[in-house]
Amino acid sequence: MSIRIALGLAVAAAGIAAQVVAAQAADPYVVGVTAAMTGPAASTQAPVIEMLKVYVDRVNARGGIDGHPIKLIVEDDQAEPSKAAANGTKLIRQDGAIMLINSSLSSTYGPNVAEAKRANVPIWFAGAVCPKEAAPPADRLEYCSTGFDFSYDIPAGINYIKDVAQGTPKVALVGMPIPISRIGIDNAEKQAQSLGMTVVDKEFIAPPTADYTPFATKLIADKPDWGFSYGTWVIEIKAFEAMRRLGWTGSYLTYGHIQAEDELARVKDDKLTVFSANALFKDDLPIHHEIRDAATAAKISYPYTQGSEGWLTGMALESILQRTGWPVTTDKLVAAMESLNLDTKGLRGGPLVWTKDNHFRTRQYYRFYRWNSAANGIERVKDWIAVDVKPAS
Amino acid sequence: MSLQLVVNVVVLAAIYALVGVGYVVVYRASRVLNLAHGELMMVGAYLLVGTASLFAGSPVVAVLVAALCGLVMGVIVYVALMRWMTGQTVLAAVLVTIALGILLRGLVVLGFTAQQFYPAAMLGWRNQSIEVASGARISAASAMLLAVTVVVYGALFLFLRFTRLGIQLRATGQNALLAAQRGIGLNAVYAFAWGLSTFTASIAGMLLALDSGAEGQMATIGLKAFPAALVGGLDSFVGAIVGSIIVAMAEIAAIQYVNPLLSDVVPFLVLLVVLAVRPWGLFGSREQLDRV
Repeated sequence: MSIRIALGLAVAAAGIAAQVVAAQAADPYVVGVTAAMTGPAASTQAPVIEMLKVYVDRVNARGGIDGHPIKLIVEDDQAEPSKAAANGTKLIRQDGAIMLINSSLSSTYGPNVAEAKRANVPIWFAGAVCPKEAAPPADRLEYCSTGFDFSYDIPAGINYIKDVAQGTPKVALVGMPIPISRIGIDNAEKQAQSLGMTVVDKEFIAPPTADYTPFATKLIADKPDWGFSYGTWVIEIKAFEAMRRLGWTGSYLTYGHIQAEDELARVKDDKLTVFSANALFKDDLPIHHEIRDAATAAKISYPYTQGSEGWLTGMALESILQRTGWPVTTDKLVAAMESLNLDTKGLRGGPLVWTKDNHFRTRQYYRFYRWNSAANGIERVKDWIAVDVKPAS
Repeated sequence: MSLQLVVNVVVLAAIYALVGVGYVVVYRASRVLNLAHGELMMVGAYLLVGTASLFAGSPVVAVLVAALCGLVMGVIVYVALMRWMTGQTVLAAVLVTIALGILLRGLVVLGFTAQQFYPAAMLGWRNQSIEVASGARISAASAMLLAVTVVVYGALFLFLRFTRLGIQLRATGQNALLAAQRGIGLNAVYAFAWGLSTFTASIAGMLLALDSGAEGQMATIGLKAFPAALVGGLDSFVGAIVGSIIVAMAEIAAIQYVNPLLSDVVPFLVLLVVLAVRPWGLFGSREQLDRV
């Protein structure tokens, strides 16, 4: 009898233990995302998150991270701070997100950062402007993997013009009335002048505008040799096209946001150069094939050429969660994030490295591309240049 | 003022006039302020994106089909939504148009995503630059927009003055009850007004998209044309033209001589000044506005 009871208890205990193990194995890593899936910033942010979802789905299809799937909960904030605030609270408090990913306008950062800190949850900016708190000396809970950052983009762009242009060129600058662009273009003006260039005009254009020609008229009035722009892609490219339609024949350099590759092929202008932190698909790397195939299979609604930033975010997320293990605690997660050393497989010029004091990256890389009419394709005009990221002085 | 600045003023005024005429048509006929007009213009641009992918080899067919769809869309908006506002307050009808605008923005994102589309490239059409005079240039799409604006206003003038339906539309706008008693079918007239308004808005959206692409934020351009229509007087076609020219001149002057960042607020500054001096607009009807 006692043996039967003992056996029964053992079987019952084993069953309960199995159920507990099964439940634990099925418990997901809950990752909250608040992003501008619609609204004025959606054309830049939505493709990032859509591709991130594709990546996460692939990880889950392979069994997740050590048996634990990643549950990505995406909330649309339409780039509105109030909606982002509500999303952040819901994702952390209600859904139990272990981290918050923000891919939206910088105006949404305040409430999200505040909520993340209250809950002691890391917040990661992906495909959106990097806050200065991610740069060294970094805040313990703030991280950024976004390719662009005006602090490094602007010097890289202006230096390129200086290197390529003959003598001391006349430059016209184009931006838009948002902080990152205004500060960036103001810095570009100072740097260009310090390098002996003449800044003939500086325009900040607010999208959408009915006609870009009035701005272009001013920009080309003093016959600049170069145009340089830094803002959203829409502003960057429309200002250029308006300048061209007025007969301007100079060269133009702009930051290559995620739309740049398709746009170079559409505009087909040999003097339009873009520089980007991410390698374009023109480079035809194995990882580009992987992204293209995954995007095609998932039937994403944006061109796969806009997928690098989201894919890279997915790679970094997988690496972080693998090293965090289960169960998740904020301390373990932060430790994994602070030791990220991601092989970007050529998507960037080197690994994406986060350290205890630097949650941005230790080196920033750029490649330069332009359209080549003779070859009827995009060509790389300058290979990776690397810039060391140092603490703000 | 250089010749290029004159061209810039003319083009911008044409944009506002072509978008603004839709506000006037609906307001004249039904006293309803259509605050979804910008969104309807944006949908017109996306209609061209849709037809451009269907008829990539035939730009003319693509534009005609999209324009026809724009006309039908306006009639559907009236039949499905605005007709049920008959007998309600004007405010209720205006609120319905606001809801319609939000709905259309959402539908566009659902149907087309948030990415930028270039129907000109899809149609294999190059938006060439045309030299109109020494040193002054205009894009082919802008030149077309200017020509279309002239044609639309000319056709409207002839239509309203010499055709039976045009006279019925004017009569309905002046006194709907009396018009109905004289046998004019109000629903048909209103449906036509909405169709015509959306048709012109769609054409404007298409031409803007041919010039610089279609995007979800285009609706804001429709909102900027609203002050131009109000400055001239909401029930006056001549006023819409004059208002557009005034607003365009002020905007270009702000960009050129003051601060480009003022270009967004200048139309509304002009509107405030005009409303303070002449609340019914430069060419608007005082008694008509009082009724609102």
